[in-house]
Amino acid sequence: MKALDQLNRAIVVLSSIALVIAGAVLTYSVILRNFSPEPTDWQDEFSVFMLIGVTFGASAWVQSERGHIGIEAVKVLLPPRIERWRQVVVDLLSAAFCAFFCWKSWTLWYEAWSEGYTSATSWAPPLWIPYIAMSLGMTLLTFQILVQAFRRS
Amino acid sequence: MSTVEIGVLYGVATLLVMFSGMPIAFALGSVATVFMVFFMPTSALDTVTQNVYEEMSAITLLSIPLFILKGAAIGRSPAGRDLYSALHVWMSRLPGGLGIANIFACALFAAMAGSSPATCSAIGSAGIPEMRKRGYPPGFAAGLIAAGGTLGILLPPSITMILYAVASEQSLGKLFLAGIGPALLLVFFFAAYAAWRYGHETRKARVTLAGGGATSALLDDEHFTLGQKFAALPRVLPFVLLLTGVMVALYGGYATPSETAGLGAILALVLIAVIYNVWRPAQLKPIMENTIREGSMLMLIIGMSLFYSYVMSYLHISQSAAEWVVAQHLSRWVLLAAILVMVVMLGFFLPPVSIILMTAPIILPPLRAAGFDLVWFGVIMTIVMEMGLIHPPVGLNLFVIKNIAPDIPLGDVVWGVVPFVLLMTLAVVVLCFAPDIAMWLPDKLIK
Repeated sequence: MKALDQLNRAIVVLSSIALVIAGAVLTYSVILRNFSPEPTDWQDEFSVFMLIGVTFGASAWVQSERGHIGIEAVKVLLPPRIERWRQVVVDLLSAAFCAFFCWKSWTLWYEAWSEGYTSATSWAPPLWIPYIAMSLGMTLLTFQILVQAFRRS
Repeated sequence: MSTVEIGVLYGVATLLVMFSGMPIAFALGSVATVFMVFFMPTSALDTVTQNVYEEMSAITLLSIPLFILKGAAIGRSPAGRDLYSALHVWMSRLPGGLGIANIFACALFAAMAGSSPATCSAIGSAGIPEMRKRGYPPGFAAGLIAAGGTLGILLPPSITMILYAVASEQSLGKLFLAGIGPALLLVFFFAAYAAWRYGHETRKARVTLAGGGATSALLDDEHFTLGQKFAALPRVLPFVLLLTGVMVALYGGYATPSETAGLGAILALVLIAVIYNVWRPAQLKPIMENTIREGSMLMLIIGMSLFYSYVMSYLHISQSAAEWVVAQHLSRWVLLAAILVMVVMLGFFLPPVSIILMTAPIILPPLRAAGFDLVWFGVIMTIVMEMGLIHPPVGLNLFVIKNIAPDIPLGDVVWGVVPFVLLMTLAVVVLCFAPDIAMWLPDKLIK
């Protein structure tokens, strides 16, 4: 599972860069609006794509650190043996949901790719770009949860 | 099945799955998907991901990770410590000046960083040891910082308010402005309490001393020269300039709120590089990791909460619940009180983001029908959720305090927080009688 960890590390570095780029693009848009007659039409959407990439791309790394928070109240109430099983069951259910979401993301990506869907703005970028970020991120997330569940049981 | 039955089932299922300990984002997504399978046309299932994407892909929402980046950059630098020492030096002559300096430092830092836990740890790690050294009771010092930190979600740019603006379709600019007056009111309440408590503790210390007991650090005189006062300024001013610059860009109409997020994040990174020499990848790593961890977690919760609300509204659950509340013909204030009590109870278990997105479709229509201004209510709801940050069991700020001052018993921290929760309740009551404290500024500046 070292490969998964290394992949997650690499994604964190990419996400950091994407965050700074998104910030820089929005800053550029402020400057452009106030000092130049050029229209600002692509900056918002470009930043959206970057930030969607960060959100979904890094979600597996966040999961590896157990960073997706939940209500922990039951944790302290259950006896340790049952608690271990609860965690495995919760992980498997989470993985099932993520797997479903992942499957539907890939079909959405395929549709956008084959039909050539574009966003309904004047810049009109192809929508398969953010969709593929979402699909890849959810795939990785599903794997990550499964790895954690099996490591436990 | 009738709408009521489906609604009850939806609520019960949500509670069960949430309390199983499943991460909030996946819990909301699973419940919504399962109800789609049973109660919505099969074709709806194909649109789940598109739905989540479309709900999330607004720049207003996606600017949240950038606001977090700005907060993390400032929060991880020594800026909090410097801001704190400058205010301490300048306010040392006031009675209870140290406590008041801590509150002002929290408020200013919160406005720059926009995050409650970041404020608590930045100001608290310098402020709590200093207050204890000067004889303040540990519980009081901890309570003061925990409460001061909550100002982060009331002052602009507050992530909580961004979500409220999206959920309630109110102007974000107005909401940001409406938070300022109430935040100043809270600062005033907290500072007055700090001054009173200082007087009270000093009198107690004098009595002990007169009775032959040990002297207390509270009775020591503290003095700073004018030179020391001015020497404290240069490192603080750039951050105050950043704060003012971003506000001017936002309200002068030079930048949209989301552009402000990008601008603020970049400026914060530049400032910590120039002033504190923080620019090497190894130094930036914890800042970026924190931002990505919190940003991705929050954005997934937001996306799934919006999807959850979409299913709730498609199945007419939210509309029926809202109609039911309206049909009760409660008087305005009973309705408001009931809703706030519910928000407080949800605050025991859920973070503010989920509370807002899950309850907005149910509670906002009745409030609008009862003639409440939804911008004003946004401020009230934010203050009530701030309380959730400092009361057990979730009380995020309590755990931050526990981290920076591990030797203060949790019991002392909790008791130290109680007076501040009461002051916040008082502020909510005052705002009910004098809504202009919140609404004057936005009404004046935004037509």
